[in-house]
Amino acid sequence: MRSYLRGYLFTVVGIAIGIAGLVSLGAMGERIMRFIQGGDRFVLGQISVAGRGMGMGTGFTAGGLLRGATIRAIAEVPGVAGVQAQVMLPLNPTTSQFMTLTQELVLGVDLAVPMPNRYYRTLPVRVGRFLRDGDRRLAVVGASFAASRGLAVGSRLDLEGVASEGVGVLDRMLTAPDRFVIVCIADAREQWVAKDPLLRTALASGALALRADDLNTGAAVGWRDGEDPDAVALRIRDRVAGVNVQVPSELSALLRSSTAFFSALLVGIGALGFVIGGLSLANTIAAAVFERLRDFGVKRALGASDLQLGREVLGEALAVTISGGVGGLRIALALATGVDSYVGRTGQQLFLFSPRLVASALTFSLLLAGVAAVYATARVVRLSPAEALRRGA
Amino acid sequence: MLRASGVVKTYPGPHGVPVPVLRGIDLTVKAGELAVITGSSGSGKSTLLNVLGLLEDPDTGDVWFGDDQVSAWSRRAKSRARGRWVGFVFQAFQLLPSLTALDNVLLAARYVGRRDAATRRRALELLDTFGVAERRDHYPPQLSGGEQQRVAYCRAVLNDPPLLLADEPTGNLDDDNAAVILRALRERAAAGGAVIVVSHRGDIAELATSIVRIQDGKLMGPAR
Repeated sequence: MRSYLRGYLFTVVGIAIGIAGLVSLGAMGERIMRFIQGGDRFVLGQISVAGRGMGMGTGFTAGGLLRGATIRAIAEVPGVAGVQAQVMLPLNPTTSQFMTLTQELVLGVDLAVPMPNRYYRTLPVRVGRFLRDGDRRLAVVGASFAASRGLAVGSRLDLEGVASEGVGVLDRMLTAPDRFVIVCIADAREQWVAKDPLLRTALASGALALRADDLNTGAAVGWRDGEDPDAVALRIRDRVAGVNVQVPSELSALLRSSTAFFSALLVGIGALGFVIGGLSLANTIAAAVFERLRDFGVKRALGASDLQLGREVLGEALAVTISGGVGGLRIALALATGVDSYVGRTGQQLFLFSPRLVASALTFSLLLAGVAAVYATARVVRLSPAEALRRGA
Repeated sequence: MLRASGVVKTYPGPHGVPVPVLRGIDLTVKAGELAVITGSSGSGKSTLLNVLGLLEDPDTGDVWFGDDQVSAWSRRAKSRARGRWVGFVFQAFQLLPSLTALDNVLLAARYVGRRDAATRRRALELLDTFGVAERRDHYPPQLSGGEQQRVAYCRAVLNDPPLLLADEPTGNLDDDNAAVILRALRERAAAGGAVIVVSHRGDIAELATSIVRIQDGKLMGPAR
C-alpha cells in the first residue's frame, strides 16, 4: 500500500484538497440546515399563542398582552394538554426592529408548568443545571450567548440593571436557543416593565387593571396524544377571543418560505460543489491512471493479465481515493476548527460535520473514483503492452 | 525454441496511410543461441522484438514457441506465456519508480503466482550475483543507470524464462556496466536459453552465435 501511495503522492494531495473544499462547503451547509431545521422542529412541537395586537413580544410570541385569564381559557379548550405562560423579549430593544436570525432573546418561562413542546421537553444543559420552580435572579444561557460573553456557571449577568447569576449553560444546539437567556417568568416580567416605558406609564396610571400573571407575551401550548395539532390550534382560535394562534403547519410553512432563499442557495452551492468536486476528482483519478501507462505496460510485459491489471488499477485508485478522502476530511476538520475557534469568540459556529456529511462525502468520492478508475482501466487494458510502453515513455 | 514466419506489421500513419514496419519476417532462434539483430534506426528491430515477445500482435504471420503457435492464443494465454516463458531487458530499464529494487525484481513473480520464500531467496541471490544486493531497498531514482539495468536483468531472469529478449540493453550504460550485462547474456545462452538482442554495439556482435540485419522491415540474411 505504501509503495502504491508513494507513486500517487501528488494525486493523493490533490484529492485531499478537493475533498477538503467539498466537505468544508458541505459542513457550512449542514450548519445552516441545522439552524433552519431546528426552528422548524421547534414550531412543529407546540402551538404558539400570543395576545392579539402589537407589543414588546418578539419571535413566536410577537403580539399583544396575553392575560392570565386568557391562558386559563386556552387550557380549557378540548385537546389542549398544557399551557406554559412565557415572556419573550429582545435582549437589546434597539435592534429588535431588525429581522435577524441571530437575535439575542430573553425567555421567561413559567417553571411551575412542564414545557409543552413535544420536541423540547427539556433543553440540554452542558454545565450547571436548568432552572427550577421558585428560582429567582438566576439564568440559564445558550451556548453562543455564553461564548460571546465568556460566561460560565457562577457568572453574573446584568439584565435591565438587575444582577442575575448564571446557573447553567445549554449544549450548543445550532439553533435559536443558542442565543437565549432563560429566566423565570417573574424576572422576565420585571425586565419587560423596565424595558417598556409605555407599559410602565400605563401601569402607573392605573389605566390597566393588571395582575402579575397578566404580563405574558405569549404561551406555548401542548396537545393531547392523538390530537391533530392544527385542529387544536384552530379550535383555540375559534373558542378564545383576543389571541393570535400560530397553526404549527402554517408556521412551519411560513418559516420554510422565509428561509427558502437560503435553502435554494444551499442546494445550488451543494450541487455546484458536487459537480466541480466530482469532475475534479474523476479527472484526477483518470489522469493519475493514464500517467502510469508505462508502469502498466511493464506489468503487462511481465505477464499481468487484463483481470490482474484491472484489479490492481482499481485497487490503487480506491486506495488513493480513500487516502485522499481521509486526508481531505482531516484538512477540512483542521480548517473548520481553526475558523470556528476564531469566530467562536463572538459565539458563532460556521461548520457542522455530521456523520451524514462525512459518510456522503466518502461514499460519493469512492463511487466517482471507482467509475473514473473503471473507465481509465478499460482504456489501459485495451492497449497492447508495447503500445502502453510507447505512450508512457 | 522460437520461430517466426511471414510476420507483417504496419502502423497507422498520417492521413490513414499505413506505414509498413515488418514485411514478412522469417526467423528461427534455437535454445542456447544468442542472436543479435542489427539495423538502422527505424528499420523495425524493436517492433520485431515486440512481436516475438508477444508485446504486440503481428498483422499477419505466426510466432511459435516450440510447438505452440502462441501468436494465435488469447490475450490471457499470451499474458501467461509472457510471464512464464519470456524475459525482457529494455534500453530504458523500465523499473517501476514506486518499488524498491527487490520489489521490482519480485514483480516478475507476482503475475505467475510465485510469492513464496524460495522466489524471494532467488531474487536476493540474483541481486547479490549482480552486485546490487546492498541496493535492494533503494528505489530506482536512487540507483545509477548501471545498477538499474542490473536490477532489470535480475527481474528478466527471475522466472528462469527459456527466452530472453533484450532491446539495446547496453544503450544507456558505460563500458564496465555494459560488460556485466553482455557477459550475463552470453552466460544465459550458454546455459541453454534462447537470447535475442537488438543492438548497435560491435562488441556484442563478437559474442553472438548469429547475427541478422534488418532493413526496411525485411531480414537481409545473416550478417555473419
